[in-house]
Amino acid sequence: MRASLFIACFNDIFFPQTGRAVVSLLRRLGVEIAFDARQTCCGQMHANSGYRPEAWHQAERFLRLYTEADHVVIPSTSCTAMIREQYPALFAAFGSESQKRELAALLPRVSEFSEFLIDKLGSADVGAYFPHRVAYHASCHGLRALRLGDRPYQLLAKVRGLELVELPNTERCCGFGGTFAVNNAEVSSAMLTAKLQDVLSTRAEICTALDNSCLMHLGGALHRQYAGMTVMHLAEILVRTETSFAEAAS
Amino acid sequence: MSGPILDPRYALPFAEAALPVLRNAQLRKNVAHAIDTIQAKRARLVAEKADWQALRDAASAIRSHVLEHLPGYLEEFETRCTAQGGIVHWAADAAEARDIALKILAEAKADSVVKVKSMTTAEIQLNAALEQRSIAVFETDLAEIILQLGDEEPSHIVVPALHVNRAQIREIFAREMNLPNLSDEPQALAEAARVFLRRKFLTSPAAISGANFLIAESGAVAVVESEGNGRMCLTLPQTLITIAGIEKVLPRFRDLEVFLQLLARSATGERMNPYTSLWTGVTPGDGPQNFHIILLDNRRSSILARPVERQTLKCIRCAACMNTCPVYRQTGGHAYGSVYPGPIGAILTPQLMGMQHAQSLPFASTLCGACYEVCPVKINIPEVLVELRAEVVAQGHQSIGGLFERLAMQVTSFVFRDERRFQVAQTFLRFLARLLTRKDGWIHALPAMGGKWTQTRDLPGLPPQSFRMWWRDNEAREPAKDA
Amino acid sequence: MATREKLLASLHAATTFRGGDRPLTYSALARPYIDAGKRSLSERIALLIERLRGYDAEVSETTPQELHATITYVVEKSGRKQLVVPVGLPATWLGPATNWQRDNGSAHGTIDAADGVMTAASCAIADSGTIALHHGPLEGRRLLSLLPDWHLIVLHSCQIVETLPEYFARFVEPPGLVTWISGPSATADIEMTRIKGVHGPRFLSVIIVHDELSRPT
Repeated sequence: MRASLFIACFNDIFFPQTGRAVVSLLRRLGVEIAFDARQTCCGQMHANSGYRPEAWHQAERFLRLYTEADHVVIPSTSCTAMIREQYPALFAAFGSESQKRELAALLPRVSEFSEFLIDKLGSADVGAYFPHRVAYHASCHGLRALRLGDRPYQLLAKVRGLELVELPNTERCCGFGGTFAVNNAEVSSAMLTAKLQDVLSTRAEICTALDNSCLMHLGGALHRQYAGMTVMHLAEILVRTETSFAEAAS
Repeated sequence: MSGPILDPRYALPFAEAALPVLRNAQLRKNVAHAIDTIQAKRARLVAEKADWQALRDAASAIRSHVLEHLPGYLEEFETRCTAQGGIVHWAADAAEARDIALKILAEAKADSVVKVKSMTTAEIQLNAALEQRSIAVFETDLAEIILQLGDEEPSHIVVPALHVNRAQIREIFAREMNLPNLSDEPQALAEAARVFLRRKFLTSPAAISGANFLIAESGAVAVVESEGNGRMCLTLPQTLITIAGIEKVLPRFRDLEVFLQLLARSATGERMNPYTSLWTGVTPGDGPQNFHIILLDNRRSSILARPVERQTLKCIRCAACMNTCPVYRQTGGHAYGSVYPGPIGAILTPQLMGMQHAQSLPFASTLCGACYEVCPVKINIPEVLVELRAEVVAQGHQSIGGLFERLAMQVTSFVFRDERRFQVAQTFLRFLARLLTRKDGWIHALPAMGGKWTQTRDLPGLPPQSFRMWWRDNEAREPAKDA
Repeated sequence: MATREKLLASLHAATTFRGGDRPLTYSALARPYIDAGKRSLSERIALLIERLRGYDAEVSETTPQELHATITYVVEKSGRKQLVVPVGLPATWLGPATNWQRDNGSAHGTIDAADGVMTAASCAIADSGTIALHHGPLEGRRLLSLLPDWHLIVLHSCQIVETLPEYFARFVEPPGLVTWISGPSATADIEMTRIKGVHGPRFLSVIIVHDELSRPT
């Protein structure tokens, strides 16, 4: 199977290790993975901030780059949700008839990372080994926009050595919300504090998610508070094997 | 008064209005306790309903259908209600609705009114207009009495005094009802309200109510309540004035089978609210013999004209969206500067203001989607929020993210339109970040707007190699390239 | 009148069809929810009783033959002496020990002073524990079942449906006046604590008459 990786601008700059983990894991599972360096950003920040014409440029670019792709994999729930939920309206407003048809044909081939593993590859067990206590933060877009359901839990359940602990109030937002974190910084911080109470109550070593933007928010506060818990994208957990641990140890 | 201002024309932007609330420990505890309680009850009762999603689908379809055929249903309602002895008035805006109400009360020679809790009358600021004409206004819903006597502002559309706890209520009642020995037991407080209002119900010449639903086929009006104060107001006075938004109409009596299964479960976590009343015009020998209904537009028709925003008018005012909202959970209602707080308020308020006020409200959300998930009539609130944000930006409104944001959006858009620019920008960003990164590899303080982030969180420093650099150096030689 | 015409015109303009999906007609609206319940009569009655007791209502059961005796017993047990009743209530229901007062448009104060009220009902919905009054001659004016502190309702088992849609299927012609009662008046306005009894009757009692146990005379 061939798949094209849409890394998302944010992961590209801040979290390249997530992209490397996705590439390495998918190769291990026999996927031929491509990366088109012409990609930039899905336009989520612009669209959600009310800058629609600006977002439209990114949407059009995405369609142009991936209209021929067999599959597009995105290790970000919110970018996948942007494409699935907001592109149709953007193309309805700004696109041509042929673009609308192309988008409709492309969307079923666009998958969030865990969707790709479970729905397209059909594998919950990816041969991972990760001997740590882990809490999973469900990310609003993964939970409600993409309806990932138990996909991430299926994947986590098959990781050898991993102890999954339940995160209370997992449906509640961490307070990031893109520019919300800056424009409503104090409210955002109050939401973050409430979320941290839940996250820390799990006494996990690692809090994982399928979206690095939530993790940057949580991780930034955990680091500020010397909380002794770190954050990690799920792909970076799934890529680990007994061999990679042995290599790291030696 | 130094309290919150619930008039969008004068209220502070959301982020500023939220500050005193975030520091008010008692208020935040009261709010969190109340909405956690309602949410737990709601979740239990929704779970026992096997056809919950089917009911939501039906409710959404009926409300959409009504909006598509609104003028016809309103005329049908008017015809039926008039045939049964009701008098139907139409009001273009708040001022006209207030004038009509004042004229009716003058004709009835009413110098006092009892009121059923109504969001619509709060929206048009009716009480102040009545008091200005020396008409004594008695709110009769327990929460509304607490607010009226305590000179407090409502912070929720179903449980408006949820930010006030029993000790505070005791203080208000003891002072205003002259009951120095009153205890703070909820039962005793409710009993005090019962005694306080019984005489008023029996002697008041007129009542004012809102409406939950108008039934087009019969001309009936429905009011949903808990305490019986609504029934008192709807049956004892000789004159009754009901003020209803034009969107409240339902085609048939039977449609209530959908909405009454959804409303109480969503609003208060009950299978059914204790009392629901329907009346049709005037019934000789039973209830008010002088019934007026004022159908209020107040910019609803312009909301109706916009295809995405139209769904705002499907709302049945259950407040499930604010009960589940993680923003509301922290701030409560006052920060919204409107009688309609929470997610529904964030989309309804600026639209009722013709997008000329409350422009910060569409941005007072993380777009987490929890509101859409619980909405019994399936209003896609995040979709409307994004639509309104685009409108605010198109207006050139500067007060939200400021010029800095506008500039940042345009620069990033320029950068994202070309991968070479993006590559250059990455290099530049890494250079800047290196200046700010501490030895631990993290950024602890950012300049300008970025400081809003680092006031409570660190930011990871930028890795020396972005993903695309790594791919170029390690993978680009391989032939596997798509597109 | 000017406002009415202008408003209707702008509503017509706002709702003019402009392409996209054709709006559905009323009869085409999907109603995929459960309309009728599956419970037998006795299960339905049991559910209603459970719901009513959940609201702190008192429930007694009787047969048509013993209705009169049951009413007498329930009223005596309540210790209430002055009870008002609607004009149309059968005289055979009214026992001798109580001071029954027929409502002939009595003054509000008179009704307010009564110890309680007894009425019939039009229907009951077991699923939500709701009793529907349509305010005919057996159910009385609306204020009758509102002002006194105790409301005693006599309900026949044939009037009990399971779901709300079943109620609406029975009353296709919309009644002019309706009061749906689900437990005594209540509020949760103080710290979300459910408090029984604010302005409406604080005490609700229901007598369920098992028509199916009626012996032919």
